[in-house]
Formats: sequence, C-alpha cells, structure tokens
Amino acid sequence: MEPEAVSGILNTTLAVVFTWVGYKTAKIIWKYTPYSYPNARIKAMEAKLLTEQRFNELAESRTLQNFVVSLEDTEYRDYFANLSSYDVESIERALEKALAGTYELMVKILPKRVNPFFRLMLEEWDVRNIASVVKAKLAGEPAADYVVEIGTMLPKVKAMAEAKTMEEILVILEGTPYEEPYQKLLLGEIDVRTFETELYRMHYGKLLSYALSGKEDERVILEEFVRLRIDKLNILTVLRAKAAGMSAEEISPMLIPGGSVKLDPLLHVDDLSMALAELDSTKYGPVIREVREEVERDLSVLERALERHIIGRLNELNRFYPLSVASPLSYILQKEREVRKLRAVAKLISDGLEPERIKELAGDAA
Amino acid sequence: MDPIVYVSLGAALAAGLAGAASAFGVGVAGAAAAGVVAEDEKNFKNALILEGLPMTQSIYGLITLFLILMVSGILGGGFKFTANNPDNIVKSAILLGAGLVVGLTGLSAIPQGIIASAGIGAVAKNPKTFTQGIIFAAMAETMAIFGLVGALIMIVTGVGF
Repeated sequence: MEPEAVSGILNTTLAVVFTWVGYKTAKIIWKYTPYSYPNARIKAMEAKLLTEQRFNELAESRTLQNFVVSLEDTEYRDYFANLSSYDVESIERALEKALAGTYELMVKILPKRVNPFFRLMLEEWDVRNIASVVKAKLAGEPAADYVVEIGTMLPKVKAMAEAKTMEEILVILEGTPYEEPYQKLLLGEIDVRTFETELYRMHYGKLLSYALSGKEDERVILEEFVRLRIDKLNILTVLRAKAAGMSAEEISPMLIPGGSVKLDPLLHVDDLSMALAELDSTKYGPVIREVREEVERDLSVLERALERHIIGRLNELNRFYPLSVASPLSYILQKEREVRKLRAVAKLISDGLEPERIKELAGDAA
Repeated sequence: MDPIVYVSLGAALAAGLAGAASAFGVGVAGAAAAGVVAEDEKNFKNALILEGLPMTQSIYGLITLFLILMVSGILGGGFKFTANNPDNIVKSAILLGAGLVVGLTGLSAIPQGIIASAGIGAVAKNPKTFTQGIIFAAMAETMAIFGLVGALIMIVTGVGF
C-alpha cells in the first residue's frame, strides 16, 4: 500500500474517532457534572434528617423550651436563634423559615437548567397563602394567622393579610398572575372555590409546561413528579367531593388538568366507597389498598399515603438516575414532611399532651 | 504526514487525553467532595480517597508517553523513523495507535469521576457504603488498565525496544 493511502486511512480514522468521542464526552459532562456538587451535598443533608428515634426524644420534651434546646445540634438552630419567646407560633414561623431556606438553597446550588423549577415550586406557597388569606378575609377571620412564612411574594401576602378591604388586595395583586382570577372573584363571576382552583390550575400549568420543556432524564423525572402531584390533588378533591355528596358536574371544574389518571369514571359514582373501588384499578390501587379501612373514616390518611407514594417513587427514580433532579425533589418533600411533623410535635407539646400520645399523633402527621 | 508527526501525536494523545479525562473526573468528584464537606467536615477523609481514584488514568498516559518517546528514540537518542518509507510509517502508526488506546481508554476517568461523585454522596448519607463506593468506582479503572496492557503489547511486539 502506498504511504499516502496509509496516511489517508489513519487521518480519516482519527477524525471519525475524535468526533464521536468528543460528542459523547461532552454529552456526559453536560448531563452529569452540574449535579455532582448539589446531589452529594443533598445526600449529606439527607443523613441529617431527623430519625424516628429523634422524634420520640422530641416528643418527651414536655416544654417548648426543651423542644428548641433538643434541636440545638441541627440546622434549625440558626432559625431558632432569633426566637423572641418559646411560644408555638414563633416556633412554627422559625420552622417555616427553615423550609423556605431549604428551597432557597436548592435554587442556589442546583444547575441553572432546573433551578427555575424549584422557584416555581416555591410559588405553590404563594398560591396557598393567597387562597388562605382570601378565604380568611371572606370568612371575617384574622388572615395573618393563616400566612405561612414561605413563598416568592411573602411581603405582598402579608400586606394582603393586613388589607382593610377586599379592593385593597386587588391593588396589591396588580401585575401578578393572580390579579385576573381575583378580579373575577371580586366581580362575583366566580366563587372562592373556583378562585382557589384557578390559582392551582395556573400554578400546575406552569410547573407542567416547565417540566415538558426539559430534556431526557430531567423531563422524565420532572414530568412524573408534576403529574403525581396533580393526581394527588385531584384524587383528594374527588374523594372529598364524593364524601360530601357532590355531583360530577360540580366536581369537574375543581379538577386540575395534567394528571396521569383518568378520573372521569370516579366522578359518576354514587359515594366514597365506590370511588375508592374505582381507584383500585388505577396505578394508585396499591396505595389505596394499604389504607383502605382508615380512608373511609379520615381522608387525610390517604393524603399522607399519597405523599409517601410520591417520595417513594422519587427515591426509585433517584436510584435509577443518581445524578439527576430526582434527588433534590425527594429531599425537598422529605424536608416538608419533617417540618410538618416538627410543627405537629411543637403544637402537641404546647397543648400539654402526654409524650406517648404525641408520638402517636406526630406519626400520623407524617 | 511524516512518521515524527504520528509518533508525537501518539505520545501527546496518550498523556493529553488521559490527563484531561483525569482532570474532568477529579473535577466532578471534587465538586461532590466539596458538597459533602460543606455539610459535614467528617466526610473529608472518605471523600478525598474517592476523589483521587480518577487520577490513575493520567499516570497510565504518562507511562505510555515515556515508552513511545523511548522506543522511537526521541528520548535518549536520535529519532529512529526519520525516512518516510512504509515500514517507518507502519511503526509510527503503531505508536500512534498505542497512544490512542491509552488516551481513549483513559477517558474512563470521566465516568469514574461520576461514579466516585455518586459514591461520595452515598458515603455521606451512609458511611458503611465506603468500600462498595470504592469498588464501584474502581470498576471503571479496568478499561484503562486494559488499554495500558494493550498499548504495551502493541509497542513491544509492533516496534520493540
């Protein structure tokens, strides 16, 4: 073979090999390296989540001061440092700020291509706060008691809670996406229940469209997460409505589009038992079966079971995609559960319940 | 191309590709190490050991670089394949191949860094998984070792000292 021919073959081989290797390497680096720091840090944070034994010790606190002291060696210490008094409201506020801090940390450490999703998740607290404030105002209750110290527009929410008139709230909401549904509420075009549904529809619409704009693993994980959350809300709405004897026509406008389960057959059944039986054939069947007996008495049992199911599913995804957005999503849900449980323990201690009873009730809260 | 270009390219690719991959691997694992240490300083020792694993590929690259330079005479004497004849082109191509094998298999340092990174996170959550983390990360090393062995065979049998 001529030397030029050998050279030509070698050069072409080199070009092909290097193009392929370069492309594959760049893809791997783009996909995984941004999650290296945050996911390792989140794993270390997961190790610090409070264990069941720790909750049992907290239940033995007897006083709120002891409760706060028992959490001195945790990350909650910084949030308890500014406590003015050891009352349950201040402790709840501090715990809410700790949860808000976790969201902010996620936004800060996660790759730019997914951190807007966590900012959107934080907006769910805005939706909850706005709905709570508006409902409290309409019921003539002190709205400030219902404000949770988390969200992207907390100052506005607090201003809403202090507003003297319902029209003042409209001025505060001006320029936000929530202005239009609130205007409709004020004009009497929709009732407060439809207003709340409208807020959640807008929120989950944004989450889903963000999830669908992702690529590969990120899209798979975010899409499944959003659809699971929508399913959870819709299932609970339908079951509560069925328990209250509402018709399909009344329930339908309260549902959020985008879930993975077809709920139409559920809407047309007569009562809660039949609705649960109908759900049995869906992918949520195993979750329902586990808590079937208790659910008929108390629907909040199902709410917690569905929450556990979402965390479990995210943990599965986390095992399948270790360097992905599944890990922070799973962590944030576990953190929310921990804060919810801590709030419950603090409340029960302040109510003067016995430790054994606190352990029992706090377990239910999770 | 002249034989000197192939030989130099082989040596450069062996050390360059493997070195760059090691740098990426250590970088990925290092970011994870920084993450777990930020949460708890006690994670430092385990994280450091796992972080260092992707460095070995750069050593294999360096060994290959020295071997190629030695057998071709660039190191310690005159270049042996100066004449542009088929025999010299084939020998220099073999050296380029040897360098390429080590360089490309050295890219295993990148996935090794990713595995080490996941391992660092796992060890931070459960320190008992340290040994398993090392084993998982070390599996990626096998490809680099195969590459080095292959390159040695190519150099010794194809060119000789």
